[in-house]
Amino acid sequence: MIEFVLNGRQVRFSGNPLTRLIDVLREDFGLTGTKEGCGEGECGACSVLRNGKLTTSCLIPVGAVCGDEIVTIEGLRETEQGKCLIDCFAEAGAVQCGFCIPGMVMAAQALLLCNSHPDEDDVRLAISGNICRCTGYDLIVDAIIMASEKGAGLW
Amino acid sequence: MVRIDDRIRRIDAIEKASGKAKYLCDISLDGMLYARMVRSTIARGRIVSINVPPLPEGYYFVTADDIPEGCANSLWMIAKDWRCFASGDVRYVGETIGLLVGPSLAVLKALEESVRIEYEEMEAAISIDDAIAVKGGPILEKDDIHCSLTSQKGGDIDQILSGAAQIVEETIETGFQEHVHLETNAAICTIEDGRYTFYISCQCPFYVRKSVAGLLGLRPEDIRVKQTTTGGAFGGKEHFPDVLAGPLLVAEHKIRKPIKLVFDREEDMIYSVKRHPSKIVLKTGLDSEGNILGSDIRVYYNCGAYLSSSYVVLQRGVFHANGVYNFPATRIRGYGMATNTFPSDAFRGFGAPQTLFAIETHLDHIAAKLKVDPVEYKRRYFLRQGDETVTEGHIVEKVVLEEMLNQVAEKSGYFRKAAEYRRGSGRGIGMSFYNHGGAFTGNGEQSIIKAHLRLVKDGDRFTILCGQTEMGQGFRTILRKIVASVLEVDMDDIVYDNPDTDLVPDSGPTAASRSTMIVGRLAEEAAMQMKERMSEEHVEIETEYKHPEGHPWDQDTFKGDAYLGYGWGCACVEVEVDKLTNEVKVVGIWSSHDIGRAIDELIVHGQVNGGIVQSLGYASMEKMENRGGHFRQTSMSDYVVPTSMDFPRQEWGLVDNPYEWGPFGAKGMGELVFNGADAAYIDALERALDVTITRIPMPVEDIEGARA
Amino acid sequence: MVEKCFIPTSLAEALEIRKETKARPLAGGTDLMVQYKQGQGITPVFPWPVMIISSIGELRGIEKGEDGSVLIRALTTPYEIANCQDVPYPVREAASRMGAVALRNSATIGGNIGNASPKGDLPQPLILLDATVVLKSLDGDREVLLDDFILGSKKTDLRDDEIIYAVRIPKVEYTHVFYRKIGTRRANAISKLSLSCLIRVEDGAVTDFRASSGAAGPKVIRSRETEAILKGRRLEDVKSLIPEVLDGWNRAISPHAMPEYRRNTTRRMLEHFLLESVSASSECIIH
Repeated sequence: MIEFVLNGRQVRFSGNPLTRLIDVLREDFGLTGTKEGCGEGECGACSVLRNGKLTTSCLIPVGAVCGDEIVTIEGLRETEQGKCLIDCFAEAGAVQCGFCIPGMVMAAQALLLCNSHPDEDDVRLAISGNICRCTGYDLIVDAIIMASEKGAGLW
Repeated sequence: MVRIDDRIRRIDAIEKASGKAKYLCDISLDGMLYARMVRSTIARGRIVSINVPPLPEGYYFVTADDIPEGCANSLWMIAKDWRCFASGDVRYVGETIGLLVGPSLAVLKALEESVRIEYEEMEAAISIDDAIAVKGGPILEKDDIHCSLTSQKGGDIDQILSGAAQIVEETIETGFQEHVHLETNAAICTIEDGRYTFYISCQCPFYVRKSVAGLLGLRPEDIRVKQTTTGGAFGGKEHFPDVLAGPLLVAEHKIRKPIKLVFDREEDMIYSVKRHPSKIVLKTGLDSEGNILGSDIRVYYNCGAYLSSSYVVLQRGVFHANGVYNFPATRIRGYGMATNTFPSDAFRGFGAPQTLFAIETHLDHIAAKLKVDPVEYKRRYFLRQGDETVTEGHIVEKVVLEEMLNQVAEKSGYFRKAAEYRRGSGRGIGMSFYNHGGAFTGNGEQSIIKAHLRLVKDGDRFTILCGQTEMGQGFRTILRKIVASVLEVDMDDIVYDNPDTDLVPDSGPTAASRSTMIVGRLAEEAAMQMKERMSEEHVEIETEYKHPEGHPWDQDTFKGDAYLGYGWGCACVEVEVDKLTNEVKVVGIWSSHDIGRAIDELIVHGQVNGGIVQSLGYASMEKMENRGGHFRQTSMSDYVVPTSMDFPRQEWGLVDNPYEWGPFGAKGMGELVFNGADAAYIDALERALDVTITRIPMPVEDIEGARA
Repeated sequence: MVEKCFIPTSLAEALEIRKETKARPLAGGTDLMVQYKQGQGITPVFPWPVMIISSIGELRGIEKGEDGSVLIRALTTPYEIANCQDVPYPVREAASRMGAVALRNSATIGGNIGNASPKGDLPQPLILLDATVVLKSLDGDREVLLDDFILGSKKTDLRDDEIIYAVRIPKVEYTHVFYRKIGTRRANAISKLSLSCLIRVEDGAVTDFRASSGAAGPKVIRSRETEAILKGRRLEDVKSLIPEVLDGWNRAISPHAMPEYRRNTTRRMLEHFLLESVSASSECIIH
């Protein structure tokens, strides 16, 4: 039996510990906001927070997160930080096809948790593992800096 | 109330960013089964036998044999040659042979791995040169040429070249490019209310039903297609979804349960369509002062095993091969070559980027030879309003390339830097010019598409009904904004959902940069008519495409106005190259575009940024090789696309040049923004290292070859 | 197909399991979960039993020894390595450029060396520094040079009952040091080529010189023979010896793909390092 905290709630998983975390999130818990873009940790679409740190959920077997705290976009969007980030992504025009964006929001959250006033270089580094094929990134960078300003004090 | 110039939010941004939007992979239907493709592992050969392991109960293997008798095993794209299932022989690696269907993904995967197919292998033609040499014998009836055409203007080019003081001849090549839309290809086929129904990630729901209906002897309208939120497409979901939908439909006919097919990234990477690789031979004659007398251009595109839409791609390539220039004489001969590679298909730019890259780079090389600034050299030949095109048509609109050049030169400091950075100094700046013909070629809109759009008023709500899809480019927002602005109502008063072919009229594909220009115009017209009837409770208005006067076109001879109007672009790129390692750092990107007028500046901004970065990826890092029919780059770690750290923030601008036939003066722009940054990048790189580059992509290891 | 999976919570338990079942450790998953993936919605299938060791606290952390050596335990992540000033510069640099943010939070040094990919980022600077691997089994400890531990592409000298416990980096004195990785792109990149070099100049003489090349052969390349060309030489003689060093190095490396690029670039970087080092007025990092 594998127990961990998912979006603030204690949960259990009794299947194969080698099951990928992303499959557990999407299939067993119905959290489809976490997307699979590549299945090998290269694109960042499946990013979640594990104990506050950015992690690609396609690469972790669920057996590795025993006792850990996992936050997905579904958890983050209920928080003030999450609402601010999502709102700024919309306001800045950072969303096109949207498939990479939940993961991108998670990367932004991971950044702001350790640096609440990032500059452009910090932001570009923080999202460099999250591939977006639509935007060319400029407006995503704007969105994250906008969130750090509008949401000052939240992080 | 929204006005066209207001800064607004995209209507789908919040639901997408919060993870609530449902993409195909997020949809699950009761009793749903999964599917996995069994594909050819060789490029060319005869199928001797297919050995399928015993299937557990509830599992199926669907092949060409399951297509009902008398029905054609073909997908009707533009041509009808692409088979739904390979049968008898295989023509490329990855050709669909069968579809395994059943309840467990893991079991399907294991079954797929134990299917044994025995082939009698034949020598395959993989490259353009292979096809020219008809390697392994003709793929088609007598040769390996799927399609060809010639365009010319001015005097006899052979004669002109023979009298030239100097001839500059070179061959320029471009590689495969993979779309890498973050959402892979995916579809579900099911039966709802007794009718075959698709949920599918796609650009063109009407294409899907037309393409697959014949497999079961049905009419297109017998099939219902519902587009699901689509996570990027770039042309990769224009015709290719048919390749998933066809086998799924045949399986559905047999199994009659919901069936879901979602490609893994590796499948999407190596078993999907790509941008056509090209080989372009340019021969330009100059007089003793270095003035261009004429250009003779041969264009070869690698179309792969099936023609599908490649003839139209080649036409666009040929019609753009002269770039934004007016030479006294030009001849362009285009050949679409058949090879045993995965069929090439639509990709943002649709054949134009390859030839535009070639002509820009060719002119850069001529200017370098003449020791003049390439921009100064190119501007002498800029097309102007009224000039004759290579299809003996005319440029109808006002061309403002000079204004765009000035805008970009001023912001980038181009002329100062171009003079200051010595060739080979490690620093370089380059500039390119490009255009993109809007909408379907020639009179396609009039004779083939015949777009319709309906606008329905119910009390205070207005519903737009058309087949245009949102794939990330922002059209769900754009079309609402057009209608809301005309009606002077709120965005929230407009309903415009993902299309369902049962509910909306066919407004043509979401492709060819036609949506805003053509369908947006239909919406604007409908809204203007609606505005006269705002006092009525229920109103339905349907508008139909009308071809603007003064655009003659002959589809048999390819003569006349190839396009209704063009978008125009100018891009400038500055680089610093580390001479130890060949690593290129882009330090500045500037652009200016003429898109008529922007419907929504924020959306345009995103398109410009994204298109330019995709183009820079194409020129630099996106290397996709094919050996023996197999793509060598199989994942996102070896086929790399740009990250947030590869290119710096862009400076961008627009020029105001309203287009008479577009909504609020807008023209198409989604493809235009892809068409030129590649050439500017290579221009800058050539100057920084004092080298001549004749192909893209140019990763560090290939720059080494250029330096040698 | 083997479906066995263990989740030990202590090192002792892990060593027992290892001995009994030969289960292989899985930590960050960044290599193994890719190598044995089956696709969306399907659990990876491993050809041998697996033990997930990510929760074993004894395998975490970096420690500085009294002799100046640095012990990096197996589960230490690239993020932790990159941010620890006790770790020598080229190793920190390599760690900071591994993959992208999420990977640097998950991958481990134990995995990176245990997987022994020719494109792995950490072995190259570690081998430059003569780092050793500390291996534990129920029968005791064993410490071997990393350069000897990695036998070739994806091959190591790990025994069936052993677990990689840590990497030890001895104290290495140098006056000039260099690290470069050329990746497939500017971030989130796999290495196309990497090179580390260091030199120690004392009283106008070269007392140490080393170089190591990554992704230029089946394993990381050192050439003691070539390094010896400069050792003990006067600084003013170095310039004239550079061609000999470059030729020696060129013979040592054996790049399979893109040989021309890898050879030329390695040559240019090595030459650059040596020229900059001999002309530098004080100790420094050469860029």
